[in-house]
Amino acid sequence: MTRGIDHAIPVCSVDELQDGEAVRVPREQAGTADDITVFNDNGEYFALNDTCTHASASLAEGWVEDGQVECPLHSGAFCLRTGEALGLPAVTDTVAHRVDVLGRIVFLLPDESQLTDGSGHEPA
Amino acid sequence: MNRPELPRHVAVVGAGLAGVSACEQLRELGYDGRLTLFGAEPHLPYDRPPLSKDLLLGKQTADEIVLRKAEWYAAKDIDLRLGTPVTAIRPDEGRIELVHGTVAVDAILLATGGRPRPLPVPGGDHPAITVLRSLDDAVALKDRLAPGVRLGVIGAGLIGAEVAASATVLGCQATLIDPAPLPLEHVVGAEIADLLHSQHRANGVRVLVGAVASVEDLGGAIRLHLSDSNETVDCDVVVVGVGIVSDDSLAASAGVAVNRGVLVDSAQRSEHPRIFAAGDAARPTGPDGPLPNVEHWESALHEGKAAAAAIIGAPEPVRPVSRFWSDRYGWHLEVVGEFRGEVVLRGELGGESFAAFALVDGKCVGAVAVNRPSEMKAARRLIERGLPVRAGHLADESVDLRSLVTGNRTPAGGPR
Repeated sequence: MTRGIDHAIPVCSVDELQDGEAVRVPREQAGTADDITVFNDNGEYFALNDTCTHASASLAEGWVEDGQVECPLHSGAFCLRTGEALGLPAVTDTVAHRVDVLGRIVFLLPDESQLTDGSGHEPA
Repeated sequence: MNRPELPRHVAVVGAGLAGVSACEQLRELGYDGRLTLFGAEPHLPYDRPPLSKDLLLGKQTADEIVLRKAEWYAAKDIDLRLGTPVTAIRPDEGRIELVHGTVAVDAILLATGGRPRPLPVPGGDHPAITVLRSLDDAVALKDRLAPGVRLGVIGAGLIGAEVAASATVLGCQATLIDPAPLPLEHVVGAEIADLLHSQHRANGVRVLVGAVASVEDLGGAIRLHLSDSNETVDCDVVVVGVGIVSDDSLAASAGVAVNRGVLVDSAQRSEHPRIFAAGDAARPTGPDGPLPNVEHWESALHEGKAAAAAIIGAPEPVRPVSRFWSDRYGWHLEVVGEFRGEVVLRGELGGESFAAFALVDGKCVGAVAVNRPSEMKAARRLIERGLPVRAGHLADESVDLRSLVTGNRTPAGGPR
């Protein structure tokens, strides 16, 4: 099933998330197993699970540039679009989430596989 | 140099970070020939930084610190030969020798790392005296670090400092011994070195300045005698962290030039066209001879990549600015570049977090920070890109350091 925009979580206005910045949405608000971080990279918006798959740092503190976020602790990098781990020390992919901008508001649509309310575990 | 013919079989000797990094990059660069990774240890290649921290503390298991899972090697068609030490190399014949048999290869990457320097004093081979280099070392040490255990740490460099910090968390009584009153002073300056070193005392570690002259067997426990003083330290277990000796024996036996490491150029090429070296086994040379070897994690990662490029004749990658980190007593220390020139402080020295930047001719050349990883990301880019910066901006906490980097960025849509 596809969750529509009515399930979207308003995160912030576009003015509050400048190029290179990130904002963390707590897991309680996102309804997901991990916090989710929304990024602005050169005017494009992306979202990934917040916790680095390598050593538990927060990607919200990472460096955002050229379609990647580099983890603050050990410089593992992830593709903002897909969540792919881009090489040592980051070797386990993370999860990418959908982001939509409506008007001037940035909305997060958490990936269903990450939801904790059970709706992510329905039979196909 | 002419572009070399592509090798059909590349042997990577040594399955630490440099070796695995080279394998990863060879495939990334499109090398589709045979690729064999020889590891002397029986374990899947693992990451060393956690050995003195999360592994000792029981926060991570051996399985959790592997560099890559077993499936990855299969997926990348890398023939991973664990528990298989290489006993000799025959570069002119294009062969390497194993305990049983030989293997024909076209290119050899020596990534054999280093061995911990032993304690060169009488009694230094006592079984209570250990080192911390391998996973087996760490697992054995972990078993010995129980509450109340008297731990002696000889050498207050990164490994020694981290082991002392971890042991303190585990309830051991740690004594840290180093002849230098201020370890890391030449790297981070006296003020920050003093702050870092003071952390040991503040956390209950006994800190002694001196060198161990001899080791006395007390029957199970040992007594360390320090030189130039009557000081003695009774210990149940001792960790020696006084540096490593580059393992260049395979190259040396084959007649390839070594000097405390396999001598290589900036592309990790040795003097023999079939032999490359990376990581702690390699020693870079400049126009004036051998340079100091950089034994940090990111250096091994980069040198593995650079060697991969050289092996298949791809362009030499740009060397990133040097960087290392260390964790002790809740402080995440990070150092990039070289700490020289004008020093600009950001935040309160000794506070919960702070950073210091080194400026030369209006450009940042180095930075040191405690618990400010994001700012160090910015510092690294300021250094690598040679961007002009003002001391006042670096010192001003209200200035987002990212803006000093991205303010210099080509506008979106413009030429890149």
